Amino acid sequence: MEFATNISLASLFQQVLVGLSRTTILFIVASGLSLVLGVLRIPNVAHGSLYMVGAFMTYTFASLFGQSALGFWLALTVAPLGVALISFLVERSLFCHLYEREHMMLLLFTFAFSLVIGDMVKLIWGSDYRSLTAPLFLQGSFSISGFPFPRYNLFLLMMGPLVAAGLWFLTNKTKIGKIARAAAVDREMVGAIGINVSGVFAAVFVIGCYLAGLGGALVAPTQNITQGMDHAIIIEAFLIVIIGGLGNIWGALLGALIFGLTDSIGILLLPQFAIVFPYMAVVIVLIFRPKGLLKSTW
Amino acid sequence: MKNLSVSSISFSIMIIACMFVIAPSSLAAKVLKIGIVDCYSGPASTYTNDVRDGFKLEVKKINAAGGILGRKIEVFTRDSKFKVDLGLSAAKELIYRENVDIMMGTINSALALAISNLCKKEKVPFFVTFSKSAKITGAKGHRYVFSITENTAIAGKAAAAGLAKKPYKKYWIAGDDYEYGHAIADGVWSNLKKMQPGVELLGQSWWKVGEPDFTPYITAILSAKPDAVIIATGGRDNVPFLKAAKATGFNERVPFFMHTATELSTLKPLGLEAPEGVIGTSNYFFYYPETAANKSFVKNFEEAYNRKPAVGAVYGLLAAKFIFGAYKKAGKVDTEEFIDNVEGMWVNSPVGKITMRAYDHQAMLPMFMGVTKKVAGYDFLVATDIVTIPGKDVMPSIEEIKKARNQ
Amino acid sequence: MILYNALFSKKTIIIGIVLLVAFLLLPYFLTRFYIYLLALIFAICLLATSLNMVLGFGGMYQFHHAVFYGFGAYAFALFVTKSGLPIWIGYVIAPFCSALLGLVLGLITVRLTQLYFGMLQLSLGSLVWAITYRWYSFTGGDDGIHGIPIPDLIGSSTGAYYFNLIVTAACLLLMYIIVNSPFGRTFQGIRDNPERCEAVGINVQRQQLVGQIIAAFFAGIAGTLFVTIEGSVFPDLMFWTFSMETLIMCLLGGWFFFMGPALGAVIIITVRTFVGIYTEYWTLILGLVLMLLIFFLPEGVLSLFFKKDVPSEKKEG
Repeated sequence: MEFATNISLASLFQQVLVGLSRTTILFIVASGLSLVLGVLRIPNVAHGSLYMVGAFMTYTFASLFGQSALGFWLALTVAPLGVALISFLVERSLFCHLYEREHMMLLLFTFAFSLVIGDMVKLIWGSDYRSLTAPLFLQGSFSISGFPFPRYNLFLLMMGPLVAAGLWFLTNKTKIGKIARAAAVDREMVGAIGINVSGVFAAVFVIGCYLAGLGGALVAPTQNITQGMDHAIIIEAFLIVIIGGLGNIWGALLGALIFGLTDSIGILLLPQFAIVFPYMAVVIVLIFRPKGLLKSTW
Repeated sequence: MKNLSVSSISFSIMIIACMFVIAPSSLAAKVLKIGIVDCYSGPASTYTNDVRDGFKLEVKKINAAGGILGRKIEVFTRDSKFKVDLGLSAAKELIYRENVDIMMGTINSALALAISNLCKKEKVPFFVTFSKSAKITGAKGHRYVFSITENTAIAGKAAAAGLAKKPYKKYWIAGDDYEYGHAIADGVWSNLKKMQPGVELLGQSWWKVGEPDFTPYITAILSAKPDAVIIATGGRDNVPFLKAAKATGFNERVPFFMHTATELSTLKPLGLEAPEGVIGTSNYFFYYPETAANKSFVKNFEEAYNRKPAVGAVYGLLAAKFIFGAYKKAGKVDTEEFIDNVEGMWVNSPVGKITMRAYDHQAMLPMFMGVTKKVAGYDFLVATDIVTIPGKDVMPSIEEIKKARNQ
Repeated sequence: MILYNALFSKKTIIIGIVLLVAFLLLPYFLTRFYIYLLALIFAICLLATSLNMVLGFGGMYQFHHAVFYGFGAYAFALFVTKSGLPIWIGYVIAPFCSALLGLVLGLITVRLTQLYFGMLQLSLGSLVWAITYRWYSFTGGDDGIHGIPIPDLIGSSTGAYYFNLIVTAACLLLMYIIVNSPFGRTFQGIRDNPERCEAVGINVQRQQLVGQIIAAFFAGIAGTLFVTIEGSVFPDLMFWTFSMETLIMCLLGGWFFFMGPALGAVIIITVRTFVGIYTEYWTLILGLVLMLLIFFLPEGVLSLFFKKDVPSEKKEG
């Protein structure tokens, strides 16, 4: 076990930046999960599967336009909407009838949903690896004090605050967001004053799934789009939501930061054991604050 | 309390009903049964489908010509979903219930070792088609297991032979944090140290299988300034690693070696986006060697499946040639005689004459080391400057095998 | 004798004996594959029933039960391959190792309730899995350990069948007694109304911790049974998707019935084996069946035939 000896300030800075762009994706995916958990109280196991579908759909839409720049932007817009549409249909036709059931049933339903999605992806897209090209101006990298920083990661870095701002606006400034927050605290009360709780739930569920799709769409150009993407992300997303505080979107942001940064800095300091760092961070957080860092909504 | 009794009755009725509803398949007399357990779901299926298709292509040909020893060949495939318990159950189903004569599979090393252990007990020949674990024909080898694919020991030796010719001194090793990654890395490094004593290892980094973002690793490696990097990554992680290498210009800053980087399954999805100048090794390219045997194999495979054969197709073909060739040589269906005939046997293949080493049951495949490059006429990168490292040069020696087996 | 009278009617005892005899004779009529399959089913039945001890009867969200199963299997496998002591000691030690893990994880998790409990267990369990997956020198890493020497007496197909049958039957009996003991009654009381139990002076967390340890203990036994049949261990045994499958077994058979999870295990394993022969899309079918089940048979297959053992009204939505 040896420490990398020549850690310059520049490489540390660089590593933090890279970690932050990873944080962005984790935040987008985990915030959707957290939103649904907070309001609907459902641990959506299928969230990772929707993320995978988002990536595959981005690939397909972009390929319709021969993977051109226009195609990429169109796909980035359309694919998460497609994921939202799927989740809307499932929510309205099946899921909405289950809200009165126990958590266990809801959890198992989402697990069943993830099984179905998994095999549907295999049926539709087959087993070949897929790859998507980002538009030319997002390809390659520029140099920060001698270290390369991929342009696409910069783009991701910019998307993070954008999504966070959108979520803040949604939960604090819109009627639906306010109702959702109220419903998260006291569902009966919101129903009693004549608000259509079911409709709000549907909206929250769809927005949550949209975020999963958006996460998948955004990582598509950096990854191997393949079956199994779902398993890779779902546990991480759950851990982030737990350390942040169930249902707290800003907790998800904090959790994603902890996860992303411990990961990238760990890689620089102790590369052989980097894999363990984020998990150790999670365990430490949970031993001292078993209900997460920020206040849970329930 | 009554519930216990009644429920146990229904419980037993269910079991017994199941037994009768699903009757075991009949034992047809004049058939040669081949059972394949492999992972046909998830990212690994991009490799395994080729093995199955390559094998079935040959089976079709033999069946059309009347079969082997007057018997038709029947192939049973089962999906393990990359789960060892499922795969092991399926293997037992094939051996106990279908009474297969030969077992084949699988890409999952843990499952390959488990089935190998089962086949040793049941005395059923088992042909390992894609697992790269050197234990299969090394430490855990036995009379009933054969490997028709390269393994981590072979790849490591081949890579070291290639790298020893280069002037690099300071290396960094990085790879998938699981058995395969570590085994490849150990294989390359231990051989390289022997062949070129001056080399120095600056450090290592290990990422989890399915790592979503390689950029932090790449920048960390660059900050250590190695002369060259050995990337021990397998399967689906090759694609995103090469993407990250391209995006960060890694390949232009540091030369790096990556075992299966030049394979079709890795390079085709990347299209022209793949980085150039990556050193890789593989058992097969559809465009190399440029022999008549390879060209006709590619043509047949393309006609049947409408795609180019990847390395798995050759493993499938080799399995078929060894299995049916040995039966033909033996002149009858007898397991022990079959094994005696496979030992030391050679077959013709698209990559030339391949011998099954008698001692450890490891097929001696040549390894092709090449460098990725854009070439006119292909819409993806191909390997160029290919150097062929013959099978006999990269096989672990029999002494090494004996040592691994504590003999 | 009092215990017997309280727990089992005469009819139950007779049926139980008849069943046991039937199972003892069954190998004479079955081919080897079905003997193997039944032996496997026994082990999984035990696993599912042990999960239901805390899930159905304790109301705890045990999301990662497989980790105790896998831990028991690994403890047994490592003992047999590394210690050189008689194998029987391994059968005794392994369940206690699982119980110890249950204690350690339980100490951290029982501070929380419901979904928090479940998710924390899921993360800690995943950590145990990750360590097993990475610790090459000790656990064999992702390759696992194969060819674990089991003496022929219990290692052959028929031997494993009888061994697993007897152990499973004994464990089920024991678990049934526990469920109906004063401890089990308190446990079910906690499930139905934790606040009230707390109010009457029951230490809810300690009860749940004990429940967790017992469930882990039996899961560990199931793990050793698995090794007896397959002679292999690998990290998949403690992967979270396997825990989900075990949850499905409980739900499918009926988690309000003592024998429900066992029935669920029988159905899942049988269907999985035989559907897998015809199609690669078995998970799709499982997903669809599960959805149908949640909508039309939320209390499991056994609820078709029986009234449930326990009241269904549950706290909180």
